[in-house]
Amino acid sequence: IPPLTYKVVAECSVSKARAGLMTLRHSEVNTPVFMPVGTQGTLKGILPDQLIELNCQILLGNTYHLGLRPGIETLKKAGGLHKFMGWPRAILTDSGGFQMVSLLQLAEIDEHGVNFRSPFDNSQCMLTPEHSIQIQNAIGADIMMQLDDVVKTTTIGPRVEEAMERTIRWVDRCIEAHARDDDQSLFPIVQGGLDVPLRQRCVSALMERQVRGFAVGGLSGGESKHDFWRMVDVCTGYLPRDKPRYLMGVGFAADLVVCVALGIDMFDCVFPTRTARFGCALVGSGQLNLKQPKYKLDMEPIDKDCECSTCKRYTRSYLHHIATNESVSCSLLSIHNVAYQLRLMRSMREAIQRDEFPQFVRDFMASHFQSDPIPAWIREALAAVNIQLPADPEKNDEQEQKPKTEKRQETEDLDKEQVATS
Amino acid sequence: MKFAIESISKNSGRLGQLRVKDSGPEFRTPLLLQTTKGGSIPWLSADVFESHVSRKPQVLQFTLSTMDQMTEALALWNCGGGRGLSDYVGLPGHLNILLLRDPCETTPSRGNDRDIQPLFTRRGKESLTPERYMEMVSSLKPDIYQGLSDADTNLESAKKRVQKSVDRTEKFMHYIYEHRGKVESNLLAPIVGGYNTFARTQSIKHAREQPAGSYGGYIFEGFHTNGLTATTLDSTKLLPIVEHCVKQLEDDKPRIMPGAFSPLTLLELIRQGVDVFDTSYAYCASFNFKALTFSFVQDTVEHVPFLDITDEAIKEDFTPPLGNCSCLTCQKHTRAYLHHLYKTNELLGPILLMVHNLHHYMAFFEIIRESVAKDTLPQLTELVRNQNGKSQVDYSIAANTKVVSKATMGKGFAAAAV
Ligand SMILES: [Zn+2]
Ligand SMILES: [Zn+2]
Repeated sequence: IPPLTYKVVAECSVSKARAGLMTLRHSEVNTPVFMPVGTQGTLKGILPDQLIELNCQILLGNTYHLGLRPGIETLKKAGGLHKFMGWPRAILTDSGGFQMVSLLQLAEIDEHGVNFRSPFDNSQCMLTPEHSIQIQNAIGADIMMQLDDVVKTTTIGPRVEEAMERTIRWVDRCIEAHARDDDQSLFPIVQGGLDVPLRQRCVSALMERQVRGFAVGGLSGGESKHDFWRMVDVCTGYLPRDKPRYLMGVGFAADLVVCVALGIDMFDCVFPTRTARFGCALVGSGQLNLKQPKYKLDMEPIDKDCECSTCKRYTRSYLHHIATNESVSCSLLSIHNVAYQLRLMRSMREAIQRDEFPQFVRDFMASHFQSDPIPAWIREALAAVNIQLPADPEKNDEQEQKPKTEKRQETEDLDKEQVATS
Repeated sequence: MKFAIESISKNSGRLGQLRVKDSGPEFRTPLLLQTTKGGSIPWLSADVFESHVSRKPQVLQFTLSTMDQMTEALALWNCGGGRGLSDYVGLPGHLNILLLRDPCETTPSRGNDRDIQPLFTRRGKESLTPERYMEMVSSLKPDIYQGLSDADTNLESAKKRVQKSVDRTEKFMHYIYEHRGKVESNLLAPIVGGYNTFARTQSIKHAREQPAGSYGGYIFEGFHTNGLTATTLDSTKLLPIVEHCVKQLEDDKPRIMPGAFSPLTLLELIRQGVDVFDTSYAYCASFNFKALTFSFVQDTVEHVPFLDITDEAIKEDFTPPLGNCSCLTCQKHTRAYLHHLYKTNELLGPILLMVHNLHHYMAFFEIIRESVAKDTLPQLTELVRNQNGKSQVDYSIAANTKVVSKATMGKGFAAAAV
């Protein structure tokens, strides 16, 4: 049996959305799926048993952080990350390249790999495609990522094309170096910046390789939302129907709904657990900052329809008092936020299976934005896959409306913080 | 509050039954209170505590110094009726007792004044008058609460400071005895007076002068100033003064003594007749990255009091923190993983440690109650003192001051540059 099988279970008759079943060595995964990020071999204050209780089927681990601590030798001796962290279900690892380029100021990329100064002893080191694969083979995740040539999303000119071409050359080196193809599936990454022809070329080149799924990279890094959705749409338009598609680093609720409509199957984001640390809880209409004084006497749960263990037991009032003061509040809000993301994905899967996805999208957008205007990019993206949203009561000309979930995800800042605390 | 003594023995202390509410569960003493911070068991959600530590009803130890901000919300919560303080913190079905000071942290020694009692909260020092204190108690509505006291004394305190703590406590309690009818909660009479027999007698006398039914039990304070200070008490100094106090108290009231006493001191206090303790020792161990591994069952295996999670030697030790332990942490995780969580400063580290430490300490209390019932407390004490015939074991907890250095990171990426 191959280490990854994927089958489409249902397709939306209007948009490109699909529900699938991905079977991995450690778990079955129902797609579309959100993968919580357990950077260092743990998900912020949540026990593996609690994640199983939430029906989380797959976690993401960061190769860069795991390579530093506990280190590859320790992971090998432990028998891989699953055993080391006591997580019996599926894991996906990134290549380590993106984290390196965003965390280490001196990282530079050439044809060999990513050059950097070791945070261990400041010596000059290099992460090659082969090396990334060796490390990921030791970690033993069910799905691993190729090392890709990462450029800032806002980069233009020949560097974008060079990065795309190099990413294709590197995928061959990764495939060649991959020593556990019977257990682990290697995903190539579609690059090409914000350039439609480059994205197309990249997809068709990668499709010539023997791979079991594809990742879409180089997005969600500061480009306009208009460019963002168009690139996602272009990639899913060319990728094969019978293989899973993973959009890296996307996790705001509205973005998830739009990208599922565009045909994406897998997502990851640090946002739900990160925002929990600052006392924020995700709800249908965005997020509640529980530190705000208005919650002091609010005796309702975060969300009365949520079935998570936090909403069953705790009021907003109590959480207001302990948020950011008692560390247990971080676990309580992380549980709720992960439950929220997983529930959103489940609702989408169910809507697709009933072939009621377009109505789900309309209802979601109405309750998410409430009286605020729905951003133009969301209307355009959904219209591109034949989902029309009702017109706003007042015509709003504002172009790049920020998502309701306030700030953009700041993966880099978070990771810098993590290194600073270590 | 009802307290019934089952047995008293010269060598093994007392076995009792405490019923806090007529309709509520009965607890056997020696009893272990669950210490909390801001109303929650440190690091553990209600879900984790009940799924992985204990499903049985507990007595939660709340502290005003970590919950003072919740007074307004609780006044509103409690006026609905039916729901109580334990429900508000997500732990319905458990009983609770309200203390002033957090036994997990060292209480600063300052700010004592004639008419007010300092309360050290997360935001700094608050000043409590007896009036304000009783208002807060009536908002919080705990099942049991302690009387307002000045307990800022320890072995080093000068006679004058000790006398002040007694006088001021007496003054506060004067007000509280007079106004206790306004709250429904059960009152504990504070006994203070440092290590001074005369002062302790005076404090006890003031309580015992009160009309019958004024209070339901005693709280012993002023032997230490909480936090790690309780783990290093000199029992040759502590035990005689505790004995002196206990002798003057009637049998039918429980005696509560908060603090992170070492397991050995704890056993000696039980022998003296103290009935109720708390889990702050388990907290202090977890906070300082120590797993409790002392043995309280006779066997042939060698035991040490702690496993130091910060120790580089366990980096690749894939055995459980404590062999034969049935807790979640020991069943599912390894020393190496706990060490990794420590190094990466991950929140799951203290969660897993607290699960184990509470599990271990609660099992210890089961054995204590068994030993008291069988009048074999001295044998248990010897076992804990010497750990399988080895030389005397040190149970004090040193504050962890280690800084995780880059040098302890793996070399996972150190491929030479091309
Ligand atoms: Zn919830
Ligand atoms: Zn254990």
